[in-house]
Amino acid sequence: MSRARIFLKMFLANAKEFMRDRSSLFWMIAFPLIFTFIFGMVFSGNEEVTYSLGIALDSSTSTNKLLVERFKSIPSFKVTTGSVKEELDELRAGNRQIVLHVPDISRSDVSSSESSTIDLYYSQSEQETNRALISAIKEIFSGIEREITGQQPLFRLESKPLETKELGNFDYVMPGILSMALMQLGLFGVFQFMSLRENKVLRGLAVTPLPRDTFFESEVVLRLIIALIQTFLIVVIGSTVFDVNIIGNMLVLIGLVVLGAVTFVSMGYMLASFTRSLEGGRNLVQTVQFPMMFLSGIFFPVEFMPSYIQPIVKAIPLTYLGDALRQVMVGFPSQYSLATDIYVLSGWLVVSTVVAIKFWKWE
Amino acid sequence: MQNAVRVENLKKYYGEVKAVDGVSFTVTEGSIFGMLGPNGAGKTTTIETIIGLLDSTSGIATVLGMDTQREIAEIKKRIGVQLQDPSLFPRLTAKETLDLFASFYSNPLTVREAAAQVGLEDTLSKQINSLSGGQRHRLAVSLALISNGEIVFLDEPTTGLDPNARRDLWETINQLQSKSCTVFLTTHYMDEAETLCDDLVIIDHGKIIARGSPQELINSNFPHKAIEFTDPGLNEEEREALGKVNAAGGINFEEKEEKIILYNESVTSTITSLMEFTSRRGKKMQDLNVRSATLDDVFLKLTGRGIENE
Repeated sequence: MSRARIFLKMFLANAKEFMRDRSSLFWMIAFPLIFTFIFGMVFSGNEEVTYSLGIALDSSTSTNKLLVERFKSIPSFKVTTGSVKEELDELRAGNRQIVLHVPDISRSDVSSSESSTIDLYYSQSEQETNRALISAIKEIFSGIEREITGQQPLFRLESKPLETKELGNFDYVMPGILSMALMQLGLFGVFQFMSLRENKVLRGLAVTPLPRDTFFESEVVLRLIIALIQTFLIVVIGSTVFDVNIIGNMLVLIGLVVLGAVTFVSMGYMLASFTRSLEGGRNLVQTVQFPMMFLSGIFFPVEFMPSYIQPIVKAIPLTYLGDALRQVMVGFPSQYSLATDIYVLSGWLVVSTVVAIKFWKWE
Repeated sequence: MQNAVRVENLKKYYGEVKAVDGVSFTVTEGSIFGMLGPNGAGKTTTIETIIGLLDSTSGIATVLGMDTQREIAEIKKRIGVQLQDPSLFPRLTAKETLDLFASFYSNPLTVREAAAQVGLEDTLSKQINSLSGGQRHRLAVSLALISNGEIVFLDEPTTGLDPNARRDLWETINQLQSKSCTVFLTTHYMDEAETLCDDLVIIDHGKIIARGSPQELINSNFPHKAIEFTDPGLNEEEREALGKVNAAGGINFEEKEEKIILYNESVTSTITSLMEFTSRRGKKMQDLNVRSATLDDVFLKLTGRGIENE
């Protein structure tokens, strides 16, 4: 039979074997999607942040009412009023960010030269936020003051947002999820091969005229197709459900996905060549993939990690796949140049292929 | 006639263990050739070396005139192989598996034909996972047959099959021969070797200890009949005396089954003197049975132990 026909049959057999195996379907397809949804929901929250502000009024003069009105009109504040004791208790319980204690003020007092003291209480826990809030509140008070006294402001600030791309946390994470999916495809995908080897299915094939190259080609092509399906699903969900703006050139993206998939597939075969048993192979793969997932910076930047970890960060291929996908997919500022990413990934591809061939075990 | 398989002084050592230790034989084209021996005798190692799964330590093996070390790719296209402990893609159906294997060969049988030969027509749509051990075994045999090759290698083809399935498979193997296909099989079943094989080698501890057709093997070792009876409890001295008097063709004491087997050409005189022998000693003869010698007897004689007792 022609080689093409053998390839096709072998490919279909592998594909059916894959599709009928629930656990591989889960790890290759469902798991990355679940990740996308969870991270998407956690990180893409664009709602306005509000701060709860308690105002305790000693009396309700018109000036006091005006103060409350003005604070209520600011969307960042959720204003509640109550007695001093009530509001301070709420502050202690963590239900208020800031409490203002406003004494009896009336317009007549304001017009007099004597200023009235307003006590501002805040908790010491969130100092950064509170410092910003307090200066904002001071600003609001001077606004109200000018309104009451009728003074014209000397400066007027007008904020004009420039047309720049706004990058959220999810923009960082989404290429990371794709990198993780490609890594798992290569490293977990080899479990199928290891189990065929352990169960002597490969032995049964070895006595037929099936060329071994054809067997591998069929496995690798299947993985590439799964990689493209993963990419498609993650990109579609990211851009439609979570509004990630995919700016990259699709051809470059596909090229990177293929390079990443092939690199991790050959890493998988390399790990398979170090061990005979399925159990040993599983352990080895887990030992490699778990640290790689957290040290590669695909989900959070790792610059802050201790310096003795940095050489590992710089060595693992997932770092470069994540970096490359971040800059190509969403235009995230890159850590390395795209060329560097491609060189390092290709280096890993060559090394793992050579090692896999050298230590290869058919049974 | 040309030799389908030729093996010359084949050796396969694993360190100190001599799995195959200088084996030579030829398989005539179109014959059913059997390699008979107990488990661990070196049958599987021999067959796996011939089909290129294992490298030999030394010696030559050729299949269809081609060297198994250098021309194995070409050989594989022209043979079909069933390995011991067959294992297949667990989630493919029987039909998909046959279809896959058929694609490897240039002139395969159809899936239906191959399935029909081993009685698996009704099982084609089942996944390998859900097949019984016997069905899986038969499928493995049909994967060897689907190659439609010139030689079919079957390593213990009927192990684990029920008696009916065994008989059906013997029928199938006999039909292969009528299609001028050569069959090379290993077995540890004496009856299988005796019924199926044109030619046999008996292998033990990696060495061939006898060869010939089943009838030749029996005749050359036993021109005698086998006379069996239950051991009435003879002591050493009595056993020796019994052997001298009554067993021109040899005597065997099968301790496990508490049986004594005498081999002698003259059945009547042997039984008469046996009666005398036992009654003189006040013993009874029980379960007396006279039969022709079988391969079991040959094996017993050559190795001093039963093949199934391994």
